[in-house]
Amino acid sequence: MEKRGITRRQFLKYAGATAALLGLSESLIPEIARALEEAAAGKPPVIWLQGQNCTGCSISLLNSNYPMIAEVVLDKLSIRYHPTVMAAAGDVAMKAIEETAKEMAGKYILVVEGPVPTAEGGEFCTFGLEKETKAFHGYQRRKDKPMTAWMEELVPGAAAVVAVGNCASFGGIPAANAEVTGTKPVMDVVAGIAKDKPVINIGGCPAHPDWIIGTILDYLINKKVPELDQHKRPKKFFGMLIHENCERRAAFDAGLFLEDWNDYNPDMKLCLFKMGCKGPVTYADCPIRRWNSGVNWCVGANAPCHGCAEPAFYKDLSPLYKPLPNMHFPGLSTLPDNLGWIAAGATAVGIGAHYLYKQLGKKEEGGEK
Amino acid sequence: MGQLISIDPVTRIEGHLRIDVEIENGVVKDAWSSGTMFRGIEMLLKGKHPWDAQQVTERICGVCPLVHGTAASYNLDDAMGVELPDNARLIRNLCLGANFIQSHILHFYHLAALDYVDVTAVAKYTGNDPALNALKAKIVGLVKANDVYPFLPRYESGDYVSDPELATVLVSHYVQALEMRKKAQEMLSIFYGRMPSFVGTIPGGVTTPPTVSNIAAFRSRLEELRAWIDSVYVQDILTVAQVSAYAPFLTLGDSGGNYLAYGGFDEDSQGKEKFLPRGVIFGNNVAQVGEMDEAKITESVKYSWYKDECEGLHPKEGKTEPDVHKEEAYSFLKAPRYDGKPMEVGPMARMLVLAGHELTGKRPEMLMGLVKKLGLGAALDACVKAGKFGILPRHAMRALECKLLADRMVEWLDQLKPGEKIWDSKGKDIPNESYGRGLVEGPRGALGHWIHIVGKKIENYQAIVPTTWNAAPRDKNGNRGPIETSLIGLPVPDPDNPINVVRAVRSFDPCLACAIHVIHPEHNGVKVFRVV
Repeated sequence: MEKRGITRRQFLKYAGATAALLGLSESLIPEIARALEEAAAGKPPVIWLQGQNCTGCSISLLNSNYPMIAEVVLDKLSIRYHPTVMAAAGDVAMKAIEETAKEMAGKYILVVEGPVPTAEGGEFCTFGLEKETKAFHGYQRRKDKPMTAWMEELVPGAAAVVAVGNCASFGGIPAANAEVTGTKPVMDVVAGIAKDKPVINIGGCPAHPDWIIGTILDYLINKKVPELDQHKRPKKFFGMLIHENCERRAAFDAGLFLEDWNDYNPDMKLCLFKMGCKGPVTYADCPIRRWNSGVNWCVGANAPCHGCAEPAFYKDLSPLYKPLPNMHFPGLSTLPDNLGWIAAGATAVGIGAHYLYKQLGKKEEGGEK
Repeated sequence: MGQLISIDPVTRIEGHLRIDVEIENGVVKDAWSSGTMFRGIEMLLKGKHPWDAQQVTERICGVCPLVHGTAASYNLDDAMGVELPDNARLIRNLCLGANFIQSHILHFYHLAALDYVDVTAVAKYTGNDPALNALKAKIVGLVKANDVYPFLPRYESGDYVSDPELATVLVSHYVQALEMRKKAQEMLSIFYGRMPSFVGTIPGGVTTPPTVSNIAAFRSRLEELRAWIDSVYVQDILTVAQVSAYAPFLTLGDSGGNYLAYGGFDEDSQGKEKFLPRGVIFGNNVAQVGEMDEAKITESVKYSWYKDECEGLHPKEGKTEPDVHKEEAYSFLKAPRYDGKPMEVGPMARMLVLAGHELTGKRPEMLMGLVKKLGLGAALDACVKAGKFGILPRHAMRALECKLLADRMVEWLDQLKPGEKIWDSKGKDIPNESYGRGLVEGPRGALGHWIHIVGKKIENYQAIVPTTWNAAPRDKNGNRGPIETSLIGLPVPDPDNPINVVRAVRSFDPCLACAIHVIHPEHNGVKVFRVV
């Protein structure tokens, strides 16, 4: 290990960071250190593909605080292909994928950011070049290689597939145009190539850096897919309801709602429910984990949660700044003005069902811990 | 006829870009820029509540969410007749400024620097600095393990900075810069909640009131960043620019000399006075800055994968019907033109427009003072004399802009008034019918959003985005886009390692997710209109 420039002491430090990240007991630190050391003996190879993405999840990954992103890149993972950070371009970059796929078959983790458009032979998202050529302004020019072809090549040899962000996980915003582009979530494309290949969905628009790194490390340490909810999201990060852990819950219970952004009381920060907060239907650990090195989070900025970690985001949670309808909360007799607004549709049924379960004191499957 | 080299993917940019160059006698003779990914986000907005626009449009791009959300806020303010409180204007300036800082640092160190610095040279470092020796130990470890990803493989070239001392310092700044850009994101999230995908602006103002404590938290990070920008970022640009092998890049990589800036950072509540002025420049004639007239913008689709009836319209009336089988087409980008001409947008455009204002006495010296102080006067004169601004000026202008902006932000921070208004409640009164417009500057250049509200809902929403200008394909008259033009004349001695081509492309900081935005009329019932 020393020859890689990483000391035993550093491994213990990383193990501490990893334990904190995953919410594990400190007594596990030596064990994690061993697993990380073992993993880093040949750093686990990662191929990170970008489909119909916006690179927001990659930028979010760069915001990682603990472990710092430099440690992730230099010490923890072997980032064989990542279009935003890698030195190589063109054929040299393609070679990095091809060699990893061949030499590391069965070992590499395939990370996908953005969903996969399948219409028109995959022409709506291409990168890299085929050997075949086609006439172009008097030349023979190599054809574009579609994302779908890369998935066919790389899914079978992947140890696991990690879909990063809401678009890769559930189709997200690009899927709204699916009738034109044939956009599919990564899990659907993977299922069509290798039925039993494990897929982990990391929701969020964007995904939190801890969710991304934590999930990958969890997989490497335990050598198995972590416990997932019904949307294939790790329960560790997506097991808690925002509303139940919100720092402004006391204001909600007291019926103190923000209705004018000029009202500010530092002693009792107002609840954003009437401004459309989707915290009551969103499972994610934002209230305790917070964002950008713990500096803030959406509700902390006096703004509603938009529910970006849920499969229903964006379309089925719109309008974002209107209160959730048909909610019966304890201690709140009057309801927001636009009753019945979402009354139809599967999402509403889901939301309603959740609250019904809550009120009956039952536990919804895949819900709270 | 020479040889055609195809580079796909062009990495260390945002998104999916392919570049083809024709090489003859070791020099680029012709070039084609192709955007190769299409989503079609905008159809989502038709019929939606206008307030949703900024949350959806900031997701056009995860690198530029801040500027889309800001443009959307001004657009909605305009549609609702908002009078923006000073606190809100200042917080929007501060947060947009924070995003410029993070974006410019990210661009130079993490997207561009690996084109100039030999990371493996760190293994030969012989100095005594403990931090640099720790970095050396890591790199030696990676080299020994034969796993130097993602820094190798790369295009090989004889002109990387390989002096061990200098390379090690630059690589250590690459690592520092990761933390610095992260701090800029933290600074932004103090007022805006988080980054990317922030929540802190709304029609009518902002959501977080300035307080003594959040101003202090912002200031401590800003001061740290300012010191780093002055002592590291600006200095590193000067150091790299002085490497003798890179001297030709002073003028090589010129985009054709036409520049466009909408102007950015409002200095008064009406936005009449801007910190960065608006204007147009033609043929690198910096001393003559023209008025920007939005009506002169049209878009050509002759070489884009859209049907021909979309040709030549103002983007507001523009149609966008995809046709991936169109023979002569080679990009999902349209070709926007101003008065029929391709235009470069971004830091170089903004700084040259600013320089033009200063040189003609319309503005007091600010940029020119900095240029003199840093000893860049001779280099600027050389560019003016040659009538060409190349790769190095493009990097330098970005760094100078970063410094000027960071300094101005301190003054905006001082102007915040805790306890005063942050929101005009007119922002929530949606008119039955209304038009809005929001023109701003983002890190990558001029950005416009337009909205048409009917029946209190979004009838039409569109955006015209910086990289569409820069990475555009040819237009109907065969004029190349700015990036295409910038590649002509670059030396490419080894066709397997076309390093100079990617150096020029990356100097524009392209963002393809932003640049390709299209609506599908048949599917959403919108007949005229597109984008995002």
